Amino acid sequence: MKKIIALIALIVISAFMLGGVAEMRGDDGSFGNPVETEMDDFFLEDSQDHNQVNNVVTAVLFDYRGLDTLGEATVLFSAVSGVLTVLRKYKLSKKENLTKLTKSSKGGKK
Amino acid sequence: MLYYILQVLVLIGLVSTAVAVIWFKDLISAAIALGASSLILALQFYLLRAPDVAIAEAAVGAALTTAILIFAIKSTDRTEGYK
Amino acid sequence: MNFKMSVVVRTVADIMIIPIIVFGIYLILHGHLTPGGGFQGGAVIASATALLIVAWGTLKDNKDDFSTMESTGLTMFFLLALLGIIMGFSLFYNSLAGTGGIFGGTVSGINPGYINTGGTVPLMNIVVGLEVVAALSLILYMMAKRSDALEVEE
Repeated sequence: MKKIIALIALIVISAFMLGGVAEMRGDDGSFGNPVETEMDDFFLEDSQDHNQVNNVVTAVLFDYRGLDTLGEATVLFSAVSGVLTVLRKYKLSKKENLTKLTKSSKGGKK
Repeated sequence: MLYYILQVLVLIGLVSTAVAVIWFKDLISAAIALGASSLILALQFYLLRAPDVAIAEAAVGAALTTAILIFAIKSTDRTEGYK
Repeated sequence: MNFKMSVVVRTVADIMIIPIIVFGIYLILHGHLTPGGGFQGGAVIASATALLIVAWGTLKDNKDDFSTMESTGLTMFFLLALLGIIMGFSLFYNSLAGTGGIFGGTVSGINPGYINTGGTVPLMNIVVGLEVVAALSLILYMMAKRSDALEVEE
């Protein structure tokens, strides 16, 4: 029963994805020529006048979609904060707690 | 013609390294196969004319992720097992 | 425990980090002319840190320096974004482009490598590069230290 449900879900999801890909292709049927090109044309034609930048990808990243880059930098910052918080040195008050902690943490190892 | 041959070779390499990641029981071998998969994916990005993404994928996927995974494996068990 | 590798690996690592770091700085500084940018160059320089950690196994205690670098990078990035509002435009407006000041040159058509263009974009590249270098190196450093692959000199 589980396998039948999984098979049906696989077929439905892949049908949706293939339909989306087929819909994204241009009128001539070639890949890489999407139907909606208004924003692409705007960026490609005007980014050099606006920013004096030759790399359009960088112009989009740091000027037109700068808030996305700010969010990305904040995500990286919070990831490092999480790593520093999890991997910090633990201070234990009593000696018994230390032995208990090391015993329980090495229980899973051979 | 060379472009299509390269595309087919890259796709074959991508699928075979991804299968190798699941196949290996030794986790360090699996991590290195994951690094090889990232490198082939970077070549695919370069072939699709996205050199920005190719540089980022090669640096992060092949170098940093492999190092972090190997450090994590070193502090846990090396072999994959169900107990 | 010491995880120092052999003399061959250490010498090759010492030689190879120079071109890796130079290439990363090139990627960051030419981010507005060629493919690359702050994140890519920062990741390349952080891989030099990974090479040093794997080859040598010892490192000085650089955690506070990396933390300061990362916080400075993120703060400077937000201040550069606020510069648009200060100059009288909207957030993230490129208010330095084409004004003739720092990074304020104008360009039209193909740029043969004239780096003094772009306004706030190259400044943001440098700042984001600093932040990414510090963040990825800090993650590597902490993971290596807690898995006993790195010995910290006091």
